[in-house]
Amino acid sequence: MGPLIPNELIPAEWNFVLAILIGIAFGYILEASGFSSSRKLVGVFYGYDFAVLKVFFTACVVALIGLNYMDYLNWIDMTQLFVQPTYLWAAIVGGFIMGIGFLAGGFCPGTSLCAVGIGKIDGIVFTIGLFIGIVIFSESFTWLQPLYEKSNLGHITLDETLGISPYLIIFIFTLIAILAFYISDVVRKRVKKVFY
Amino acid sequence: MSATYTTKKILVKRSYQFLALILILLAGGLFLIPKHQKHDGIPPEQFVKNLLSTERYISTDLLADRMVNQDPVLLLIDTRTTEEFEKFSLPNAINIPLAQMFDENLNAYLNQDIYDIVLFANDNFLANEAWMIGNRLGYQRLYVLDGGLNAWFETIIEPPYPKETMSKEAFELYAFRKAAGKYFGVANDTVEIETKVIKKKAPKKVITKPKKKKKMPEGGC
Repeated sequence: MGPLIPNELIPAEWNFVLAILIGIAFGYILEASGFSSSRKLVGVFYGYDFAVLKVFFTACVVALIGLNYMDYLNWIDMTQLFVQPTYLWAAIVGGFIMGIGFLAGGFCPGTSLCAVGIGKIDGIVFTIGLFIGIVIFSESFTWLQPLYEKSNLGHITLDETLGISPYLIIFIFTLIAILAFYISDVVRKRVKKVFY
Repeated sequence: MSATYTTKKILVKRSYQFLALILILLAGGLFLIPKHQKHDGIPPEQFVKNLLSTERYISTDLLADRMVNQDPVLLLIDTRTTEEFEKFSLPNAINIPLAQMFDENLNAYLNQDIYDIVLFANDNFLANEAWMIGNRLGYQRLYVLDGGLNAWFETIIEPPYPKETMSKEAFELYAFRKAAGKYFGVANDTVEIETKVIKKKAPKKVITKPKKKKKMPEGGC
């Protein structure tokens, strides 16, 4: 049956309309979960709040398991889903820079816009910085292009690269998630509580 | 700490453990679900719809017409065995026996969208089977010769002479079939045309005797 738009169960013109609706819902959930607070977000790094880790890890595992069951039930065709191409070195360097920005600013791009939405000054400052970063990247693109385009490994997935069953990867990933939740709880209990 | 608070705390803790257990069970359950074969090609509902439709059939008359006019996009495929194909087949037909349909070299003829492929066999049966497989796999422009070679013989090679009470169209069709039959090399025409052989008298040969040329006097002065 699915994916709905590529299989023309929903006309392609609805693509952007749905994207906006899903985006609004996503932003609302982020805000409602308190993810527009930079203190909550960086709590992962200081060890007093692991909500971000738990939420995103849970979302990931639920989507992973859910999609595979849906694929089995023929509700969605997994082969038709888009797999982001892996640019290895670009991802490593970009991830590093993003990590520093996340830690220093207390937001990731999505949550910063959430914070702007509710009028947080730190969010606005962060977003201005984000756009400055975009301008710098765009202007130095010719210089960065080799790093940006090199090491493109294509649309690879873990199960194909390692040659093991995707179900095994899902199972291991689930165990890792639950272990991470448990450890994060232990860490949180030991770290001094911060009220914000 | 009140008793209700303690029970609540335990419940919350338990509920998280319960949720974690559900996640592990669901992830483990993925191993247990049977592997299902995914089919290539069109969905079954569409296939059944195509199967019930008679659009795939092409009549022998239409085929003959297209062959006579040397339709460049027409491709005839004989789905019978090689032995049968070697005995007789339609002109310019390619032999792809049903069993060898997925042979790499032969499959390329079927899985394309340039030619109108007309599948045929002695009757509809084999050609229909080939059509069903091809259609399910989403192959384009596949047709079946209605009635197969049997119908071809009954209509094009030896068409029945229409009754006198039949319409003008029937006679026109008969004339077309006869003409098409001749095109395909039917020699024994059943309708004998009386032909008068008029023997012309051979004209008398006039033998002309070469006149003797007067000899010019040689020499002299």
